Order: sequence, then C-alpha cells, then structure tokens
Amino acid sequence: MSAVIADQPGTPPGGFVAGLGRRATSGGMVSQVLVPVTAVLAALVVGGVLIALDGVNPFSAYREILRAVFLAKRGLSDTATAATPLILVGLGYSIAYRARVFTIGGEGQYLIGAIAGTAWVTAGGVRNWPGFPLIATGLVVAAIAGAFWGGIAGWLQTRFGANVVISSLMLVYVADSALQWAVRTGIRDPSSFVPNSRPLLAAELPRLPGTSTHIGFAIAMVLVPMATVFMARHRGGFRVIATGFNPNALDANEISKRKIVMLVMLIAGGLAGLAGMVETAGASGRLGAAASVGFGFEAIIVAMIGRLHPIGVAIAALGLAALTIGFESTQRVLDVPSTLVGVITALIVVFVVIGDALASRGRDGR
Amino acid sequence: MKVLFTIATLEAAIRLSIPVALAALGALLSERTGVLNLGLEGMMLSGAFAGYTANEMTGSPWVGLLAGIVVGCAFGALLALAVVTIRANQVVTGIAFTLLASSGTTYLFQLKYSIGQKPPRVERLGMPPLVAITLACVAALWFLFQRTTVGLAMAATGESPEAADALGYRVVRLRWIATTIGGGLAGLGGAALTCGPLGLFIRNVTAGRGWVALALVVFAGWRPGTAVAGAFLFGLCDACQLRLQGTKTEIPYEVFLALPYMVTLAALVLRARASRTPAALAIPFVRGAH
Repeated sequence: MSAVIADQPGTPPGGFVAGLGRRATSGGMVSQVLVPVTAVLAALVVGGVLIALDGVNPFSAYREILRAVFLAKRGLSDTATAATPLILVGLGYSIAYRARVFTIGGEGQYLIGAIAGTAWVTAGGVRNWPGFPLIATGLVVAAIAGAFWGGIAGWLQTRFGANVVISSLMLVYVADSALQWAVRTGIRDPSSFVPNSRPLLAAELPRLPGTSTHIGFAIAMVLVPMATVFMARHRGGFRVIATGFNPNALDANEISKRKIVMLVMLIAGGLAGLAGMVETAGASGRLGAAASVGFGFEAIIVAMIGRLHPIGVAIAALGLAALTIGFESTQRVLDVPSTLVGVITALIVVFVVIGDALASRGRDGR
Repeated sequence: MKVLFTIATLEAAIRLSIPVALAALGALLSERTGVLNLGLEGMMLSGAFAGYTANEMTGSPWVGLLAGIVVGCAFGALLALAVVTIRANQVVTGIAFTLLASSGTTYLFQLKYSIGQKPPRVERLGMPPLVAITLACVAALWFLFQRTTVGLAMAATGESPEAADALGYRVVRLRWIATTIGGGLAGLGGAALTCGPLGLFIRNVTAGRGWVALALVVFAGWRPGTAVAGAFLFGLCDACQLRLQGTKTEIPYEVFLALPYMVTLAALVLRARASRTPAALAIPFVRGAH
C-alpha cells in the first residue's frame, strides 16, 4: 500500500489527475470546465430535492441564499472571510495532489499553526510588541509549525513508506490533543475560567479598508498568483510523478521523487498552518478548545472542485463560502438545516470524480 | 499504573476493538482483490447512523446491526460501481465518499434531532454476541482465503488481474462482490459501535476508526487474524486512555487522548515496508488492455 499513494507506477492516470496531461487538447478543455459545472448544478438539484422533502420550497431557499450573500449588508465581506482559510489550505492540497501526494491532514497542520502562532504572539515579552512585527512574526511562526507537522507525514512516507493519506489523518487527532492541552494548560489565559488562550489583541489582523474582512483575505489573494507561478515553473518536475506511466523512469528518479513528496508536504503544511493563524488572528480573536471546525476537510473539496488550479481553488472556496453563509441564513429564516451545505459540497466532489472518470473513458474509447 | 491492569480494562479493550476489527476485515477483503477502500470511514459512519436509527425505531439492536450491514453493502456497491466499473481514481473517490458520509449523517441527524435536543440512548447489545460475530467473521475470511477456490481467485485478482482473467475468473465481478461485502463489514463495525455498549450516535462518532482500520490492514500484512490482533492493540490503547483520563497522573491526559492514534501511526510506520501489498491494489482493471 505504501507504493499506492504517492505514486502509482504503471497506473493509467484516472480521474481529475488525468486532466494534467490532457489540458492542451480541446476535449480536455471542455471536460475541465463542463464536468465541474455539471457537477455543481446536479448537486444543487439534489440539494433542492432534499430541501423540498423537508417541506420548504427550494426556490425560496436558494433565493434566500442569493439574498444573504449579495444583498445583505455584510454578505460579501462574510463570504470573503469564510473563504480565506479554505483558499489557503486548498492551495496547499492542490499543489500536493498534483504531485499525487494525497494528504488529507490539513486540519492538523492548521491546528498546529494556530497553536504555535498564538503561543508566540501571546508569550510574555512578545505580546507587547507593536502590531506589524507581532502579526508578521506570528504568521511566520504558524507557517513554519504547520510545515513541520506536514513534514512529519512527508518524512514518514519517504523514510518508512507509511501511507500519507492515513498518517496525515492520524496526525489530525494528535494535533487536536495538542490543542486541548495548549488551551487547558500550555498557553492558557490565567484569568479565564474556560480553556482559552489569551486574547490576541495587537496581533489581531486589521480590516481591509471599507469592509469587515480581515487582511488575511488579501494575503490569500496574493498567494493565488504565486502558487500559479510556482506550479507553472515546477510543472516539468511534477509531471513525472503525475503521469507515472513508466515505472522505470520513476525508479531512476527515486531521489527527486522523495524530495518532491517532502517539498509538497512542507508547502501544504505551511499554507495550512498559516490558515490556522489567519483564522485565529482574523476571525476568532483567541484560540479556544473548539478551534477544529473542519476547514482542513472542506479544503479537500475546494481543491478537487478547483481542478487543482490556484484560480480554480479561489473560485471554489468563494463559492463554498457563499453557500455556507447563505445556508446559515436559510436556517435562520426558513429552518432548513445548515448542515445541508456539507452534503451539497460533498456531492459536488463525488460527481466531479465520477464525471472525470466517465469523460476519460469516453476519450479513450474503452 | 495499577488501575490499568484490571479485568475492566481488558473488557473495555475488547469492546473498543470490535468495531475497528470488523472494519479492518472489510477493508482487507476488498484490498485483497485490488480495491482500495478509502471510503471505509464513511461506510462505518453510515453503518453507525443506520444502526442507531433502526435500533431506535424498532427497539432491537439486532435490527440495528442488520441495518448497518445493509447500508454498508449499499455504500460498498456504490464504491464498486465508481471505481471498478467506471474506473474512477480509487484514492480520490474513497476520500470523497467519506466526506459525503460525514456530512450526510450529520445532516440526517440534525433533521431528526435539532441542536440542543438530546437523542435517546438505544437498546444495547452485550459483549458476547459481538465478540462471537467478530470471531465468526475472521474465521470466515481465513477460511475463504486459505481453503476455497473463490478466495484464491480473489487473491489472484488482487495480485494479477490479467492472469486471473486469463484463467477465466471474472475480475470485475469478484471485485464487486468483495467491495460490497467489505462495505457491509465496515457498516456492521459502525453499527456495532452504536448498538453495542455505547448505545448512542453523535456527530462523527467513529472518530477516525475507519482510517485506523486501514492502517491496521497494512500493519497486518493483509492477514485477517493479525488484523484483528492489531485492532485489539488499538482497543487496548483506547481503553487505557479512557481509564487514565479519570485518574491523576503526572502526564497530561491529552497524551492519552492521542495515544491510540500515535500507536496506530507507529504500527503503520513499523510495518509499511515489510508488508506484502497486493500488487494490483488501487489499479483499475481494463480487459484486454495489456
């Protein structure tokens, strides 16, 4: 099984990963866009049916979503805020998945980043620093800590052949235990009755002028083109891993293959760690015991719907965030359970994966 | 440390290992035929939810177990359709299925019990029947792979589907059967969790046990008996964790919370390279492609 995840020598690439090598052909282009659009529409239809089964008119529900996002006072700002961690973690996943390193442990790296960043900016001596150096160093510490956590899974894969999918997920539970310890004992606010870190105060991210969104969204938006450039420049290196048609070529490249596994795990971990601190310093204001809200898992969906492309990731994250904000409103107004949004987005992924496989079957004519 | 060495700890260990053991057997069955089931966590979770709901409606934990099997099989058949017939990427499809099960059960649970409302405890099965079921399953799998032609054909399908196909075995059909029954075992494992001594469903109640089971299959080198032994090891750590939480120790209790997962990770790391992986695992079979 160790050989299965990071590389599949001799495997005809199936599904969305296959899109990589076929991008240039027109058929590839069509299915690149057609499949996710169809998947989104199909999932929204299923969601509508579920809403109707619940006794609510689906059209009023979807109208309420549009209203909450586009017309309500803070709709767009809230959407941008909610999309920020998804973009950051999703970018990391898309880089890793392109190299066929199927990590699903972003949640753990996110938590470790949040813990380390919060520990740094609330530490005695440091917490009195002025805003800018405090925020900047906090984000850097978080990214390094997240990269370290991601690097563990990468190292276990390259050194021992332990499957990244499973090891990265196991590390999520270890990270959550670390969070529980941190807020209960390690970095607890001594004046707080509930387990919490100190408030971040000066380390909180400032708002973007004229909005209620924090600057983390701007950071994410800067990282999107950076990731695009990175992927374009490293494309040649990744393709060996990505297509993997020739097992012998892979063997000859054993060293560089390992390096790439480590590299993408460090990048994915770093971005997830950054996301953890951005969310804590931008939206929460302090770190609590319930900091694990699942961005690390939702971002898997974002990466897949976004076709492992940074711009696609940004679009998918904004769309998913808009659905989340919208469904919070439908729950308040129409009493439709907000957890339905999870079902719809998971359905999109299932449809995308199956649609890709069908499209590639059609092309190959088998 | 004295608190650990008691009959109660041992009993808790067996109780906690049963769901993981059943799910591991399910994963093992499909993996031996070459289908990697990363939807295992989702199938366990669906089985847990179906088991709880059926049990609550009928008042019978046995109906709960049955519902878990049925839902698990249905989920397994869907996975087979996606990865065996349509040949979607097994890694990505499995993860997507788990995400769907996680959000789906959360949604259905919220539909039934709005936030703040306390779901009732259901009728619970004791340990002896669950232990008997688990032992029966492991014996059946051992017998299947060691003593029957079908089992041999399944293993051949996982090693070299082309050869199995050339010998006249129906590769696609064997993979369908193994994946469907494997899903049923995972669903049974989930139902054993909620209809067993817990008697309760909570959001994401399986807490990564499906992933633990997948790690244990690697640890066990795809041997049913060893997989169950590995599950017992996980259960033992989980039981120690539960018992140590209540006692005052020098070590923070969060270390014990992480212990079962760290031990699973260690087991995976120790055996990953030595383990004999089915050669065609996660590789779709296309008839006449080679």
